[in-house]
Amino acid sequence: MIGTEQYEITAYLYAVRAALGDLPESTRDELLEDLPEHLAEVLVEAGGTLVERLGPPEAYAAELRASLGFVGGFPDPPPPGKLVELRAALLSRLRVADVKLGPLLGYERASEFVLLLRPAWWVLRGYLLAMVVAWMLDDSGQPMGLLPRIGGSELVALLLLAAAVLGSIWLGRRSFRSAAPWPRWALYAGTTVLALVAIGGFFNADSSTRDSNYSDVNYDNSNPFSGVEDVFVYDQQGRLLPGVRIVDQYGAPIELGTPYCSDPTTGEYLHTDHMGYPYCPRNAPFATPSDERSPAPTATAASSAPAVPTPTASRSAPR
Amino acid sequence: MDTTQLLKGVLDLAVLAALRDEDGYGYDILRRLRSAGLEDVGDASVYGTLRRLFNGGLLSTYVVPSDEGPHRKYYALNAGGRAELQRSGKVWQGFASTMDDLLRERGTA
Repeated sequence: MIGTEQYEITAYLYAVRAALGDLPESTRDELLEDLPEHLAEVLVEAGGTLVERLGPPEAYAAELRASLGFVGGFPDPPPPGKLVELRAALLSRLRVADVKLGPLLGYERASEFVLLLRPAWWVLRGYLLAMVVAWMLDDSGQPMGLLPRIGGSELVALLLLAAAVLGSIWLGRRSFRSAAPWPRWALYAGTTVLALVAIGGFFNADSSTRDSNYSDVNYDNSNPFSGVEDVFVYDQQGRLLPGVRIVDQYGAPIELGTPYCSDPTTGEYLHTDHMGYPYCPRNAPFATPSDERSPAPTATAASSAPAVPTPTASRSAPR
Repeated sequence: MDTTQLLKGVLDLAVLAALRDEDGYGYDILRRLRSAGLEDVGDASVYGTLRRLFNGGLLSTYVVPSDEGPHRKYYALNAGGRAELQRSGKVWQGFASTMDDLLRERGTA
């Protein structure tokens, strides 16, 4: 029911619009702005089809034209192509949606609310512009943060940001209506690029924020520990300490390397059975000849490690 | 003489007058004009006039939701519209009485 009415209104509207094809577009848009709603009122009010109630759309258009004071006199424009008709169809749908969505936002039309957001867009556009400029000019190779830094200077970043935002606001307040079409197209193209950059940058920033714990340790090339496979801790005497655990200032274990060892005889790559570091004591880079594997509690303790209390029989404990 | 020719000059005033006592939506205003005796007035003329008066800042609008059928856009006279109605009304009354006098003289002559 609603669907056929909408279709009838849309069809009537096309025909009226086409008959007014010689009017300047802004005049015509303004004139026809409320017509879809008005035709819907007429349909409900009057019964019968629109053509029955209002006459053919061409006559309706002629009457509209007369009510404006425009009597024509312009040469006939080329007949509207498919693209023009499609555009008209989309525009009229958009207008209906505009009016329908408006009350949800508390405005007569959704576009009234959207218009209020324009200055906010100008500021955002300025920020994005500054970021793109900084990204193109900055050659420090570091990933972009939140400020448009060029060469790491905060002052330059803030100046650039201020200039871009002010420029964008100035551009926003300027009207392009009277100018040649190309500045407008350039603006649209630039805006599209900025929007794409913004979307890309936004998702990039989001994922790097979420994954920073992992990427800093494992994937980031600038991390000096990225090549570490195992950790060997030596005491003051140069002996390798087994089963070492390393924690940070919060007591959280620092995990470096991979807990796998290749067996020297079979060549198999197996999960280590050593608790803590080193995972693979065999691979220790500095092995003391006298004490090859680990400090044995019995053999040489008395001579080489007096600091370590070991239960040897030859020494007599003082108490 | 064709009344549509006459209407063109006074449709603005007629629409303003139709809104003097009560706000109305497009088709409603058309009905008021027709029931007042302006039977030749067309829907497109009223719609176009409403748009023009609105763009001229003489009318304000508001939407009234309807349970059945579409929302209705109501037009109302604002301060500018009332002032214009009063001003144009006087012009018309002066013009009409001149015409009346003219016709009466002709008639009595």
